[in-house]
Amino acid sequence: MLSRSAERLYWLARYLERTENIARLVSVHMNLLLDLPFGVEMGWLQLVRINAAKQEFYEKYKAANERNVTRFLLVDASYSGSLFSSLSAARENIRTSRDLLPDEAWEQVNEMYLFTKNNLDTVHNRSHRIALLNEILKGCQRFTGLLSGYMSHNHPYRFIRLGRNIERADMTSRILDLSSLLLSDSRSDEMRQYETILWVNILKSLNAQLMYRQHVRSSVNGDDVLNFLLLNTTLPRAVGCCIAEIADAINALPNNDSLPEALVNLKAYVQAIDTKNTTQAQLRGILDDLQNKLGELHFRIAKNWFLRAAE
Amino acid sequence: MKSIWENYKTDIAYDELMSSEFQPRQISHRLCQYLNTLNKNDIDKRKMAAELAILEMGISFTVYSDEGNIDRAWPFDIIPRILSAKEWRTIEKGLKQRLTALNCFIADVYGEQEFLKAGKMPADIIHSSKNFRKECVGMKPRHNVWANICGTDLVRDKDGVMYVLEDNLRVPSGVSYMLENRVITKRVFPELLQDIDILPIDDYPSQLQGMLASIAPEHISKPQIVVLTPGIYNSAYFEHAYLAQQMGAQLVEGGDLVVNDDDCVYMRTIEGLEKVDVIYRRIDDDFLDPEVFRKDSALGVPGLMRAWKAGNVSLANAPGAGVADDKVVYAYVPEMIRFYLNEEPILPNVETYLCDNPEHLEYVLAHLPELVVKPANESGGYGMIVGPHATAKEIAEFREIIKANPRNYIGQPTLSISTAPTLCKGKLEPRHIDLRPFILQGEDTFVTAGGLTRVALRKGSLVVNSSQGGGSKDTWIINMEHK
Repeated sequence: MLSRSAERLYWLARYLERTENIARLVSVHMNLLLDLPFGVEMGWLQLVRINAAKQEFYEKYKAANERNVTRFLLVDASYSGSLFSSLSAARENIRTSRDLLPDEAWEQVNEMYLFTKNNLDTVHNRSHRIALLNEILKGCQRFTGLLSGYMSHNHPYRFIRLGRNIERADMTSRILDLSSLLLSDSRSDEMRQYETILWVNILKSLNAQLMYRQHVRSSVNGDDVLNFLLLNTTLPRAVGCCIAEIADAINALPNNDSLPEALVNLKAYVQAIDTKNTTQAQLRGILDDLQNKLGELHFRIAKNWFLRAAE
Repeated sequence: MKSIWENYKTDIAYDELMSSEFQPRQISHRLCQYLNTLNKNDIDKRKMAAELAILEMGISFTVYSDEGNIDRAWPFDIIPRILSAKEWRTIEKGLKQRLTALNCFIADVYGEQEFLKAGKMPADIIHSSKNFRKECVGMKPRHNVWANICGTDLVRDKDGVMYVLEDNLRVPSGVSYMLENRVITKRVFPELLQDIDILPIDDYPSQLQGMLASIAPEHISKPQIVVLTPGIYNSAYFEHAYLAQQMGAQLVEGGDLVVNDDDCVYMRTIEGLEKVDVIYRRIDDDFLDPEVFRKDSALGVPGLMRAWKAGNVSLANAPGAGVADDKVVYAYVPEMIRFYLNEEPILPNVETYLCDNPEHLEYVLAHLPELVVKPANESGGYGMIVGPHATAKEIAEFREIIKANPRNYIGQPTLSISTAPTLCKGKLEPRHIDLRPFILQGEDTFVTAGGLTRVALRKGSLVVNSSQGGGSKDTWIINMEHK
């Protein structure tokens, strides 16, 4: 397998995962806002914060209202982290990797791209926006499903798995960052009153509510949710599970000698996180560290397999 | 007939489907019967379905413009072009004969030069050809075949005869569109395809794969085959990726390949360097190897020619094969067939005046308003003049261009190339078409069943190139005999 192809498939998977994550995030957030009374500190700006794009957002828009934030996150082609930008980048990567994937994979991504492109101007309308987000979520699932069903689980597949899970772990850690707000000592009484709804919302944004109930078998509370989403090794969007998937893919790839050590460190770091009695500041520190470690792992992967400078 | 045929004209040229305004030819009888069951609305729906399929399948080509490179959807006309299997068998034989003779000629040019020694062609034509590569003299590719993939352009004149217009022996493109056109037609007219006996075309990728395997360096049982593309900005990138994917071969760019001290070609993979045995290259000779050809080429692979000459890698087409893809050399193909094969040509050439020859030059200059004059070495329909469609000023300017470099120009009578019904704004109108079949030659020779039919979508236009407003049609070779 060509190094260049490996790199493109890895990025294809990262961009598609990002596309799906943004769609789910916005979709869940819309639902949440319908449940909460006015005045609870869960405005649209939270979504911009998760993507670490507050500065860029305010350079373009004045108010962090629904219309502006959804426009920015979903269809703003000049913001590289938007859903449309991610999807376009995914399409560009798959267009140059068609020789490695089943035909349907390209057609699926291309269809999603065309659909989004034709509906860029409709997202200010809530029901059109919901339709678009549903189409994206389904499309991403179809993509994952058809690769799993039509493609050999070979090296190209492993690079896709690798990219997907690094991106996924990163996004989960960002969403948990949001939860740090819920642990803030200065949170208002009103906020405390709706805490359960907010934690459920976090579970929903990672498609984890049902699995949480089956696994934890207790009412939804902050400690247990954090614990589940960080440490569980079987829930696909839990950080622990992403790391297990990453390790699996890396161990099956050739020339991987320089990576196991970094993996072991990452695993150990996550498993040592103690979510009981975590303060807001501690949690933020832990999640920052985790994101840095994922960034470092990405750098090592790139150095090991993608760089094509003279050998 | 219903309104989609309103005012259909068959007096412009030979029409492929209609013998008169109201009378389909025998081969198109069933198609026309079927089309008559559709109203304008139905036809529009099918056309939209085809356009949607093209967008979703991402069938595109890249157009270069000042605003950057644009990826355009492939223009497709849903009305197929039809040929009978009986006529096709003769054409197929003619194409095989022609490519065989051309390959004998190329091998001869880089070998003993018997054709020239026998006085069949002035040696100067070869030595002044910019596609003659002295680096290739003395080489013997596998099976002594140089042009492994050929796209030959055929046109039918008003006399109903198919003529060879040119042989594309460098990096002919279009075969992926031929394949995809059929896929779309199956989606658009499923009920129609069921009851007409159309020869299948979808084995091309496996034939190509087989041909490429047959030219691998000797003693290699499972050759590593790659498609070398100039990259995403090339107008035919879609095709490169498509063919690689269909063959299960690697699609590589110049930067993915490296030639080591052992004169072998390797590709950079996640497992380190891996040896490459056959390269289906879609890069022109000029850009193939900066060590030998253009030094500024960033698309090619330094050392590739070394590896090829050492016999460690096979290139399709072989470097230098383009020497026979020259419109001056074209004029001599009938003579090659007689000389090398001792046969009479099955497919006729278009009468050709070589401006290099003083008598011919005089004729061309005197008859410019009637002739088509083309440069000897360009492709894509660029740099040519169609006399009957040109203004007096354009003709005067072109006269000077020819005089300045007669070797580089040929003149041909303006053919009245055939038309076929084409959907234009909801009704059928005659548009000019040509046909590009693809011929593969390695250990064996293979011809596609039909080819890519290109259509000049602008009314009256004779230029079918996709870069200049051309589109394409599905091409059906149908078997009528057992009905």
